[in-house]
Amino acid sequence: MTALLEARGVTKSFAGVRAVDDASLVVADRSITALIGPNGAGKSTLFNCISGFLRPDAGHIDLGGKRIDRSPPHRIVRAGLARTFQTARALTRMTVLDNVRLAAPGHPGERLDSLVLRRGAVRLREREVTEQALDLLRLVRLDTHADSLSGTLSGGQRKLLDLARILMASPRMILLDEPMAGVNPALREELLAHVLELRATRGITFLIVEHDLGFVMQASDRVVVMNEGRVLMEGTPDEVRGDERVIDAYLGTHA
Amino acid sequence: MSVLSSGEFWAFVGVMAGIYTLFTLGLQVQFGLAGLLNFGQVGFMAIGAYTMAILVVKQGWSMWLATPLAVVVAAAAGVLVGLPTLRLRGDYFAIVTIAFSEIVRWVATNEDRLTGGSQGTINLSGEGVATQYNGAWERFQGWVGDELHIGSKDVVMLIIVWTVALLLLWLTARLARTPWGRVLRAIREDEDATASLGKPVFRYRLQALALGAAFAGLAGCFYAWQFSFFGPDDFQPLITFFGWMILILGGVGRVWAVPVGAAIFGFLFAATRFFDFPPFSYLDSADRAYVRLMVIGLAIVLLVVFRPQGILGRREEMVLE
Repeated sequence: MTALLEARGVTKSFAGVRAVDDASLVVADRSITALIGPNGAGKSTLFNCISGFLRPDAGHIDLGGKRIDRSPPHRIVRAGLARTFQTARALTRMTVLDNVRLAAPGHPGERLDSLVLRRGAVRLREREVTEQALDLLRLVRLDTHADSLSGTLSGGQRKLLDLARILMASPRMILLDEPMAGVNPALREELLAHVLELRATRGITFLIVEHDLGFVMQASDRVVVMNEGRVLMEGTPDEVRGDERVIDAYLGTHA
Repeated sequence: MSVLSSGEFWAFVGVMAGIYTLFTLGLQVQFGLAGLLNFGQVGFMAIGAYTMAILVVKQGWSMWLATPLAVVVAAAAGVLVGLPTLRLRGDYFAIVTIAFSEIVRWVATNEDRLTGGSQGTINLSGEGVATQYNGAWERFQGWVGDELHIGSKDVVMLIIVWTVALLLLWLTARLARTPWGRVLRAIREDEDATASLGKPVFRYRLQALALGAAFAGLAGCFYAWQFSFFGPDDFQPLITFFGWMILILGGVGRVWAVPVGAAIFGFLFAATRFFDFPPFSYLDSADRAYVRLMVIGLAIVLLVVFRPQGILGRREEMVLE
């Protein structure tokens, strides 16, 4: 297994408090890795460092051998790593279709110069992008809503829209931030199936922050446990399940 | 009341509405599309007007070269203001822009040798030499009038301003529907989500600010031609807020709402000038000038209460979260 994402010694403090403290983790290519830990363990901060929304105070983060921890978020997406947020961030006053089309990479129609000089290329690409976006909406069964404003979608539908939108960016790796939060059992199964399917058919690597341990055990190959800003342990789901340190961290029983 | 029935007067109102349309179109690109709170739009208008006038008078440039360059300089000013400030939060950016427009006004007031100082462009060539920058414009206006067989200069101006305004409205409406416009609308809604989809938010904001500043610069040139001379006091912060009133009246986010807002604003602003019946007639004319602003303010308050999306805005967009 080759490493796709490698974080070494990542540290991030806020006003003197070390939210992430010398954390290191490796995510293997085409793996589904879960990042778990109690609230305040530093999972979200580490996520924000990896996706470029925060700059780590120290440490290295490499994606496919290239350093990304000095890059802004949009460069990291172009390098192949995309993320979702804890609450689905639908652009509510745009149509569902436009939400997905927006994420298309390398669109000449998003540049003022090519809008004037390469009108043929712009039209062609927009047609491709629209086809691709409709395919993705069919995948998550939102195609019948394509022309509705995304603000009319339910919370669960917005999670699916988030997924379709992020796939439009053709990432090699996806960071999911608590995908199961506020999700009903039927949608839970649907999202789980999508994650497994996307790894199998498109070879997408996943790093998932999740509190739903049932989902973590079902979906992931590797589990990384964080506590108080540090990586406590990592292993297979079975190894993690039986580890006393993990039980301690979650239950706070210092036996 | 005879003025109210005069065609000349209403042509003048129409010309001003056209200039305000160009001015506010810039705000529509910046705020309606990209969500930028620019409270200093009048600064870009001043830069456009002064650049054109200075190039014509001091450098002896042709108006036909000076005007495009003035628009480019206004856009460049947008880039200069945006580079250090667009990474700030929206409300901080708004404060910086209002400071910028005041700086422009004070520089124009104090740099006599460059701008003619507080006396305005009449002093561009120094004290005592009355200076005009609009000779070429007058000839052009005369030529258009002859071709169209229209004697009134105001009506000719009305036609020219609105031809340009309609052309730019049409282009901007088209631009808003392109993938470029789609990215701007996304940024207005949620910049982090847009960045997380691979879009360089900062660069788009800078483009929107510069494009909107260019529209203001062009509005400044038309303003300069309409009045034959101007000074720093023509670029008070109030002008920016007139633009915002027009934007809110018409509807945020919709390009064709701008001329509607500008026409209504122009009408209210002109019509309230003739409030010479009781109770307004008990006030002297200076106080009545404030009554005009109060009436327009009241109209906006009523609009926000009963039709918050503006006259042409879409209601459903106001309620979605």
